Amino acid sequence: MPDQTADSPASLQVYRYKAGASRVEAVIGVLEPGLPQEDLVAHAAESIERDTFMCYAVSQAGDFVADEICFVPQGDRCDILSIRTNGWQRHHGDHRRSLVEILNNLAAAVACGKLRILDRDELATETEEGSEVLHFSINETADLQTARDAVDVVLLEAGLDDISRQRTILCISEAVTNMLLHGGGHGTVTLRRLGDRLRMVVADHGPGLNFLNWIAPPTKGGQASMGYGYKIILDYLDAVGLNSGPSGTTLLLDRMTD
Amino acid sequence: MLRTSIDQGPAPTIYLAGEMDLDCAETLREAVTEAARGAQMVSLDFAKVEFIDSSGTGIFVRLCLDLKSQGTPLVARNLSPAVRGVFDMLRVQDLVGDEVFPG
Repeated sequence: MPDQTADSPASLQVYRYKAGASRVEAVIGVLEPGLPQEDLVAHAAESIERDTFMCYAVSQAGDFVADEICFVPQGDRCDILSIRTNGWQRHHGDHRRSLVEILNNLAAAVACGKLRILDRDELATETEEGSEVLHFSINETADLQTARDAVDVVLLEAGLDDISRQRTILCISEAVTNMLLHGGGHGTVTLRRLGDRLRMVVADHGPGLNFLNWIAPPTKGGQASMGYGYKIILDYLDAVGLNSGPSGTTLLLDRMTD
Repeated sequence: MLRTSIDQGPAPTIYLAGEMDLDCAETLREAVTEAARGAQMVSLDFAKVEFIDSSGTGIFVRLCLDLKSQGTPLVARNLSPAVRGVFDMLRVQDLVGDEVFPG
């Protein structure tokens, strides 16, 4: 029976294998010392060769324990998502989503191409694409409405229909809320116009995705987070990019305008 | 920003207007606590709520469950289209029970 009081965080780790390489590298999280490199490389190479999504449940105790490892081929590379819950389950009577549901959602989104995990170089390139339209700081909950209102003006100018606009605004609200609750409470929102899309870059300097800080009630008014933020973002936007590490999390939220 | 006004009585109604997000937690909890004092039930009127996200929804769900456990049921009335869309997506009715949405 897993220890639900353990302080090791439930987490999503993402590794990347490039065809021909002898090792996998960490993109989100860290490389475990006991990581079975040879096995991961073999499975990743097979996933690329067969162009097939592969997923394994891992249950054995040991140095490297994951609830699930997914291999997602992407051309000449393979992203490997390792999902660990460390025994955290939905508490009895808890109305929030379980961590497994949340993490599986993210893995499925990578597999279907909706969510791209970005390494530092890709992030640097993609946050500079197009031209900047808006840039502002987020420091407190009152900034949520300011952010929504500012983005809505640009969406209106871009001629988006009402449904697309409302959904985009909802996603901005979810991303900024995540920043306030889990991303250190401060950050920036930048809106960029690319040829065929608007890109909203939501960046914080928090501790990175680890999901442990999601579990404790974060607000005076009670538990506000239901664990649906990422689901809404992935369901309602056209493309999402994610980079996360100990120096912060950045989300790229794309809305097509053509 | 969320604005509230209370129509007091044995079954008070809290009229909500504006936006429900993480910022509304205290405003909403204070209004519900005040209205629930000595009441048999409390109604929330969502007709003028223009925006709600998953945090605003989470705060509402938490309040529903808290009041239910204290024996003062909370009901939601006149959901605006914005609220209905998000409540449906997040399956709020399954979380709080059908009785919260009479009619």
